[in-house]
Amino acid sequence: MSELDRNAKRSRLSAPSLRRREFIVLGAGALLGARSAEAETPPPPSGRRGQVIVGLSQEPTVFNPLMPGIEVDESVWMNVFNALWNPDPEGNLIPELAAEVPTVENGGISDGGLAWKVRLREGVVWHDGEPFTAEDVKFSLELINSPGFRARTRQGHSLVRDIVVKGPHEISWRMEKAYSPYLALLANTFIVPKHILGKASDPNTAAFNNAPVGTGPFRWSERVAGDHISFVANERYFLPGPYLEKAVFKYIPDLTALYAQFRTGQVDLTIGQGIPANFYEEAVKLPGRKVVANPSGNLEIIMPNLELPALSEKAVRQALYHAINKQAIIDVIYYGLHRPTESFAPKESWAYNPNLPPHSYDIAKANKLLDDAGWKRGARGIRQKNGVPLEFALSTTTGTAIREQCQQLLMQDWQQIGASMKINNMPAAVIWGEFYVRSKFQALLVGTAFRTVTDPDPATRFSSESIPVKGGSGGNYMQYVNPEVDRLLAAGQTSFDRQERTKIYHRLQEIVRDELPILPIFQYAPVEGYKEGLVGFRPNINARQNTWNMSKWYWAR
Amino acid sequence: MTSPVGAIDGPPAKPALTSRWDSPALRRFRRHRLAVFGAVTILVLTLACIVGPFLLPFTDTFIDIRQRFAPPLSGAHVLGTDQLGRDMLARLLMAGRISLAVGFAAMAISMVIGVCVGLVAGYYGGAIGAVLMRFVDAMLCFPSIFLLLAVSAFIHPGVETIILLIAFTAWMEVARIVEAQIKALRERDFAVAAEALGASDARVMIRELLPNAIAPIVVAATLNVAHAILAESYISFLGYGIQPPTPSWGNMLDNAQGYLTSAPWLAMLPGAMITLAVTSFNFIGDGLRDALDPRTDAR
Amino acid sequence: MGSFLARRVGQAGVLLLIVSIIGFSILHLAPGGPLSQFAATGDMTQEDLDRVARQMGLDRPLPVQYAEWLWRLLQGDWGVSYRDKQPVLRVIGSHLGATLELMLSSTLLAMMIGCWIGVLGAIRRYSVFDTLATVGAMIALSIPTFWFGLVVIYVFSVGLGWLPAGNRYTIGDGSWSDRLHHLIGPCIVLALVSTAVWSRYMRSSMLDVINHDYIRTARSKGIPERRILFQHAVRNALLPMITIAGLHLPTLLSGALVTETVFTWPGMGRLFLDSIGYRDYPTVMGILMFTAMLVLLGSLLADLLYGVADPRIRTA
Repeated sequence: MSELDRNAKRSRLSAPSLRRREFIVLGAGALLGARSAEAETPPPPSGRRGQVIVGLSQEPTVFNPLMPGIEVDESVWMNVFNALWNPDPEGNLIPELAAEVPTVENGGISDGGLAWKVRLREGVVWHDGEPFTAEDVKFSLELINSPGFRARTRQGHSLVRDIVVKGPHEISWRMEKAYSPYLALLANTFIVPKHILGKASDPNTAAFNNAPVGTGPFRWSERVAGDHISFVANERYFLPGPYLEKAVFKYIPDLTALYAQFRTGQVDLTIGQGIPANFYEEAVKLPGRKVVANPSGNLEIIMPNLELPALSEKAVRQALYHAINKQAIIDVIYYGLHRPTESFAPKESWAYNPNLPPHSYDIAKANKLLDDAGWKRGARGIRQKNGVPLEFALSTTTGTAIREQCQQLLMQDWQQIGASMKINNMPAAVIWGEFYVRSKFQALLVGTAFRTVTDPDPATRFSSESIPVKGGSGGNYMQYVNPEVDRLLAAGQTSFDRQERTKIYHRLQEIVRDELPILPIFQYAPVEGYKEGLVGFRPNINARQNTWNMSKWYWAR
Repeated sequence: MTSPVGAIDGPPAKPALTSRWDSPALRRFRRHRLAVFGAVTILVLTLACIVGPFLLPFTDTFIDIRQRFAPPLSGAHVLGTDQLGRDMLARLLMAGRISLAVGFAAMAISMVIGVCVGLVAGYYGGAIGAVLMRFVDAMLCFPSIFLLLAVSAFIHPGVETIILLIAFTAWMEVARIVEAQIKALRERDFAVAAEALGASDARVMIRELLPNAIAPIVVAATLNVAHAILAESYISFLGYGIQPPTPSWGNMLDNAQGYLTSAPWLAMLPGAMITLAVTSFNFIGDGLRDALDPRTDAR
Repeated sequence: MGSFLARRVGQAGVLLLIVSIIGFSILHLAPGGPLSQFAATGDMTQEDLDRVARQMGLDRPLPVQYAEWLWRLLQGDWGVSYRDKQPVLRVIGSHLGATLELMLSSTLLAMMIGCWIGVLGAIRRYSVFDTLATVGAMIALSIPTFWFGLVVIYVFSVGLGWLPAGNRYTIGDGSWSDRLHHLIGPCIVLALVSTAVWSRYMRSSMLDVINHDYIRTARSKGIPERRILFQHAVRNALLPMITIAGLHLPTLLSGALVTETVFTWPGMGRLFLDSIGYRDYPTVMGILMFTAMLVLLGSLLADLLYGVADPRIRTA
């Protein structure tokens, strides 16, 4: 869920933050096709040349990749560090520090998913010249579970037992239970050097955290806090590239200012939240710039609190859904950039179910649904049932101008079916605090994702065991409870068979589409831009930021 | 945000203004052409904002997507429409209600707090006065926008909370002015006499001392309205302002930033309204300062 | 002199204590916290969030947290930034230069122009120039700074292409001319309000001086008017400006915050905004304490300098 704009101001004009999460499959296929110029582009240079300045609307500040950070921090991690494997735009896991991705077929995963064995790549060295070994992997996994360390998440990692280093380049462990999303979680677990962090008295405050040493394509060079971070090419990188001599991440906190600097050429790329939708038309006409809307795995949804009497009834949610003028929202407010969706899974996912009933904007049908369910119009035209008025507040982060427009459209539409919605926006730090995690909201308008890193498993969002306010652990903040969903989620996690899992997740999407514990509006496709002449930029819906392949970028001569 | 309130040096004690219409103060004010201009502008603006919305064919919240970004003077909408096709004139006037109301309400609250603290601190002096004034000093150590932001990042933004927020960060100057005035006045004969006659503390403070300190208070009040209107726009700019669908000049200006090149009137109009209103209040304040300061005649 | 200084420093200590209590209360009593943003990302489960909060000591009672913070501060430890993972003083230090550069340059500009306008306005009181200057100053004080900044960017950067749209320097360049080029826009925007303030104060100060006896005496002695004005009057009128400079500091910091935001200037203002949004308690407290100290120092220096410049004050 990428909604958190650390500072509301920053996202003022944003199509709310767009997070690029892993996921599988196809992807940017269409877009890549459109830019099939790849064939004509010049070959990469033999040496390392030039630099690139990437404009970011948030400032990366967390450089230990195992500690709590947000997506923009990952743009640093994925260039300084490596994970065992990494998803490409098509959703295949490509081995990086591992020699191959373990599967049931190649014997890497056995004993019904309980025994894992990973062979590591040989000849990899850390930026300081020390060799990378299985000890580093063991250290990283153990650090995550060590009691004093402020690890970002122990999801999946807490199931790991008996890590054994079988040789300098082979490691194995056992899982407490079969958990297929762990492959995806490991793709987001960057390996840190034991020979440095292992010596730190407190890894939470180690000097390493401000001067990271990794195995990745770029070496940490310098950081001017509040302004930029620069990197230099890792001459000893174990994969092809990098072709650039230097890379700079420039922090420009305001999306309008970021766009202005992209326009004037002070930054070479603008990625992440990218170019505000209202500048899209102007931006595509800029000479010397390429501007593309790249689908992300994030969805814009309305998240109702299912414990609120007015929203607990399925018929009400269906009526509200029918009264949303999705096309107007997408066309008018978002300039037609995003694609309407019925599912919680991105269209590019292998688990996506394309056969869900399509949404129709139908006020009459919405009114009939409510009439049939016994909601009668009362004072001021607001419906009531058993003394419960059809009233609720819709909240989002303050200062997101585009979302505020969306709220005002919804307000007018819902008025027509006798539902009274009030806008109750709050600063980011307030809304994502107790208000969110303790389910104190009535309804939220958020951009978020429903999966586990690159895996389609949405258990933390839909399982009845994931409701924090009811003692669970997870992110089921709408408090959705459905025994069949729980069963499907459990079955999906223990299976390593993609066909079987696909069936499970298709059924899950049908149920969610029918019961509407979330009201999906659209799947984001944020607008990113780069200077003509930059070769190798390739959007990846499965990476958090499109700096994922910066090692392959270069300037055409 | 800058109101040179601190620049006011208090006039010597004199009887409360009694004969209103031919007082020398009023004559001086009327001679101050800019101040008259300000007063007239504010009067017209206030009337327009109160009456105007009733006379218009559009309401400020009516969304008409097909009519978005209509430029001013191009059709049914005199001042054009905004990004959702809402009538700009209706929104400007409704926003004026909110912004002016925020200005006046925040001023009123800040004046009440400031005057009370100043009165008590100035009258009693000693430990109470010291404690109160040290608190005032401490609050003044925060640059006002830091304080505004620190608090606004945490509150739930609404018209009432924004008013309280601005008032909460704007009363200290007033307290200082009043305290200084009262401290000087309470040694005067008429105050000492009133006390000797057995008047209660409250009576001496409110009936005897306060009327004599009214001049700088009135000036500070005027400037505080200007300050509050500006402060509202700053809070909106930084993303913590009054929430939609309620329009205010500040949030209209804030929301217009993305359309500065494509639909400049969205930003120009509220920007001009803020500047006009704030300038007018500053003019009035300036005029009042001259008018209420008898030394102006001597010069 | 020594006792005066000691008393002022003692007062400042008390004030800073109050400032810290106010600041700490506002920050910590507010809903949300430094971990909210991670809740929003969905990567961290509730279990993870609770664990990290415990590891960071955020679950302890507020008075305990305050006492610990204060105790460390008294020993010179300002804490470690949650957001930056670096000592707060170093974080502030790395942003201070940019803000000082902006504040000093704009103050210098505003002082020169403002004083000049003020003096001329006072000499030719009620002239067309004076009226225009008065009206201009009033309007300058009434324009929202951010709005003026945006207009400057759109006219001079996007429209005419004369100035950069923001930033302190071009990455990889950073020469003096490049820095100066970047400084022009924000400097003018920030100087606008200050110029108005300075011109108003200078005008009234100058008027006060002109009406003084010694100027009248000088006039009656037949000293040329120019010499009277520029050798005696202006010099004396500038004296109170020293105080103004000290007292004007908080306003200037406020203006700098907004200007920095508009011009993506990597200074204290931006740091403050980011830290507030992040709920980076140690950094926000650090900035509040630091600015409070600056403000107190400013007024103290103003008093001291004024005393040095005008010996009559010392007896008072």
